[in-house]
Parts: sequence; structure tokens; C-alpha cells
Amino acid sequence: MKVIPIYAEAGISGFESPAAEYKELGLSLDQLLIKHPNATFIGQASGHSMKGVGIFDGDILIVDRSLTAKNGDVIVANYNGCFVCKLIDKKKARLLSASSEFAPVSITPEDEFSLEGVVTRSIRLHHKSSELTACML
Amino acid sequence: MYALVDAVSFYASAEKVFDPSIRNKPVVVLTNNDGCICAVCPIARRLGIPKFKPYFQIKSLLEKHGVVVRSSNYELYADLSDQMMNVMSRFCDNQYIYSIDESFLYFENYESCIEDWHEYGHQIRKAIWKETRLPVGVGFGKTATLSKAANHAAKKLSGFNGVAVIDSKISREEILNRMDVEEVWGVGRKIAGRLKLEGINNAAQLSKQNPKNIRKQFSVVTERTVNELNGISCLSWDEVQSPKQEIFSTRSFGQRIITKNELRAALVTHAAIVGKKVRKQSSLIKKLMVFASNSPHDPLYYKQAVVYSFIMPTDNSCEMAQAINRIIDSIYCEGVHFYRCGVGAIELNSRAFVQPDLFMPDHTNGDLMRCLDNVNHRYGDSTLKIATEGHHEKWQMRREFLSPQYTSQWRDIPKIQC
Repeated sequence: MKVIPIYAEAGISGFESPAAEYKELGLSLDQLLIKHPNATFIGQASGHSMKGVGIFDGDILIVDRSLTAKNGDVIVANYNGCFVCKLIDKKKARLLSASSEFAPVSITPEDEFSLEGVVTRSIRLHHKSSELTACML
Repeated sequence: MYALVDAVSFYASAEKVFDPSIRNKPVVVLTNNDGCICAVCPIARRLGIPKFKPYFQIKSLLEKHGVVVRSSNYELYADLSDQMMNVMSRFCDNQYIYSIDESFLYFENYESCIEDWHEYGHQIRKAIWKETRLPVGVGFGKTATLSKAANHAAKKLSGFNGVAVIDSKISREEILNRMDVEEVWGVGRKIAGRLKLEGINNAAQLSKQNPKNIRKQFSVVTERTVNELNGISCLSWDEVQSPKQEIFSTRSFGQRIITKNELRAALVTHAAIVGKKVRKQSSLIKKLMVFASNSPHDPLYYKQAVVYSFIMPTDNSCEMAQAINRIIDSIYCEGVHFYRCGVGAIELNSRAFVQPDLFMPDHTNGDLMRCLDNVNHRYGDSTLKIATEGHHEKWQMRREFLSPQYTSQWRDIPKIQC
């Protein structure tokens, strides 16, 4: 994800804007949301089990692989060949949902399991985004 | 100390990063147009799946073992390569990215701070695995050639777990003894064949040859290799990084090409790709090779190649397009169904040492080319192009088994179950 600043320049020379000297790069969402760009990936939540921590169906998740998950963190894991977003219960080796409708899942030695990263941000799109609509269906 | 870090079957490993359902399955990746197998993951290798075999020839073998087949997803590989290289760069003060999946590291200023190279190698591996989910091998050696040999051992020889260090006579002998001479960096298949005729079969035997004799029999390049294998550095860091001597762009078409205009468009497009790469490494083209052919499996094989010499060396894509226009008639042949074509800069000069001609004005038009490159860098390749390039529909690559563009298209970002 790169934000490219483009300056509009018309070919008409009038008076120079008194604010020209104060022009800076705009705010960058990357700067705010992504601490470790080389270890971060972006995914999209699908399902309703994480409502309790404010992650809803269709939300954008920013996942940082460089962080070590602490007990109770919102994480992304590879659970039997599928990316899942859950709360990690390290003591009992369980994946917890943030919704009373979903029971905890115990991780057994037969399961394929690896931690993929810690969810550091989630983004709610209150208006539909045309770039993403293809996958919202 | 030099290090060579590279990914284990990079394309196949990259396919597994965002698709956890195939992490524990055998995976192969096909080349352009799904022609050949170009990457085989370790699980598939253990099943005996060979590399570089045409896909159609081993299709049934792949099906028998339930091998996952993917087309080359260059958009994904380029992104993951960037991430991998950036993570690696934290570990060294000098990095030279040698190809999409390998980097030389040269420890110059704080070599003495690193006490245990094995340990350091594992730190690099762990960091890259954790942050990008790509497996790499790390080899350390006193010379670039030895680091390459150590890397080979780290990945291919038993007893090494992804890291190998050549820092003593014993470790050097141990690895070189078990290494086929053909695997040595700088020794091609041709030279290896001649060496083997003389009973020089492994790298250790090559290292014991008298360098002067090797020079007489082969070349100064092979002499250097012998010295480098003995820990005598002959390639300085600048030489390791030296610009490429030849640049090619070539590809087979998804659908055959019949008309002269289509062939011209394809060739000019290749020329534009070569031009961009030539400008990136600050070279100028003296000689340009242009070629086109049908398939060797066709009843009447047709192949034509022409070398065009520029009066003044150039890096101007427009001049390259004009050159192709001048020679297209000697390459095109009516009735031939072209399958493959390409353009190669086969003699390159350095821009820094160019000798201008008193009576020839400079035709390279640097400003225009810089503008072209900058626009295409900002807004994506082919935003600005030479009109002759035309549209590319017919020779778009065939990529039947393409995975999603997980990192470069919003619609393709990975789904995470909640």
C-alpha cells in the first residue's frame, strides 16, 4: 500500500498561494496503522464470532506477524488449513470467540495449528467500498 | 565475511504464505504460459517430482500424488520478495539483491561483533520465517563463492539445518567434498563437463587445482573461482554487484501470431522492457539481438535472429523501436505461425565511460526516458508506452492456475474466519 501525493498544477500562473510554504505530505493511514510494514498483512473478517471485541463481518484486519501473542490477544492462526481470527487462551491451549453463541475450541495435537500474527487494528467500513464489494458478496 | 541468503523454492513457498490449506501439501509452480515446472516445494521434491519438465508430460504423475499446481503469480512474488529483502537488510550493513529470491550480504564494519555465525544465521532464518512465512537457507563464507557453496550445503546436504558456515579448513573441506563441481558458482554445465573428463568431479578437487593451469585451460573466470574456493577473495564487493552483461526479454505467446504488425508490436514491447532494465543499471546498448520463431514441435521449424548495431550506443526505447522497424522484414516470414520472440541487449557499455562523438548529437533523450520511467513507476507498467507496442491481448500469458493477488488487489485480500 503506497500513498502517492500528487500536486495539482494548473498551467496558469496567478498569485502564489500564501500557504505554499507550509505544504507538507498529507496524513498517511499507513503511518498510523502499520508499525512493521514488512511483517504486516491485510485480511478481511468473515463471520460473527468476534462481535464482542468489535470485529464484524466484512471488517478489514491488520495483522502483525512480528509481535509475539500474549494471553488474551486477538490473533490470526492457521487452524487446520484455514485462517481464523480468535482470542488466544495460551494456558489451556484454546481458541476463544468473543460471542456467547460460539463455544471455545481446544487445540489438540492432531490439529494443524500455527500462530500467524496479532491483530493490531480492525477497520469498519461504514459505507461500502467499491474496491472491496467484489469480496463482500 | 560474506553471506548468501535465499528462499527455499521461492515461488512454491510464496504460494503457501496466504493459502494455509496447501501449507502441508506438495506444490509446484509453472513458468510463463504454464509450460514447464519451475519450482517444486520440498514436499513435492520428496515425492520425486522433477523440475524443468514440461507440464503436459508429467500431468498424470502430478495427479497421482495430488500435487497442487499453480501458475506464476509475479505480482505476489514481487511483493513477498520485497518484504523478505527488507527483513534481511536489518542483519547486515551491505546488501546486494542478486535475484528475486537471493541476496548477498557483506559484513564489513561490525564483523567482530558477531561471535557465532551459526547462531546469527538461525536468527536471520527465524526472523524471515516469522515475519514473512518464507523459509530461507543461509550460507556464510570468506568469499562470495564460498558463501554460495555454504548456502548450497545449508539447503541441500544432510546434517545442515538451513545454515552452514565455511570458516575453517575443516568446514571448507567437508562441504566442498560433498559438492558436485557443477554446483560451484561460476562453473556452468559446459565447463563442469570438461572438468569431469579430467577427473575433477567435486568442488574440493577443483579447489586443489593449480590456478595458473586452470587459467590456461579455461579462463580467468575459472581461475578466480579456484582462488575463491580457497578463501582468497578475488571478487570485490563492487564486482559482485557488477551490472549484468546481457539483458534479454523473451516470451512465448498465449496464442500464435501471424501478421507482421503483431510481431512488430511484440518485439517493440520486449525492446521497451529491455530499455527500462538497461536504464536502471545505467548502461547503453551497443548491439541488440532480435529474434522470432515458431515452435520446435511444428512440422517446419522456422527461426530468425538479427543483430543490430547502433552507431552510437543508446538506452532510448524509441531508438530501439526504430531499429526493430528497420529489421522487421528480415525476421518476419509470411505463413509462419510465430510462437516465441524476444529482444536482447548483447553488448552493453557503461554510461559513465561513454565516449561522445563530435559529429553525432546525443540521441538518448534522457529527459524523455526519465519521464517515461517515472510515470510508469508511479502509475504501473505500460501507462505510457510507444504506440507501436499496441494492445497485448493475444500474447497475454496463459495462467490457468493463478492464485489470487493477495497483497496487491483489495478484492483478493485473504479471508479470515471469525
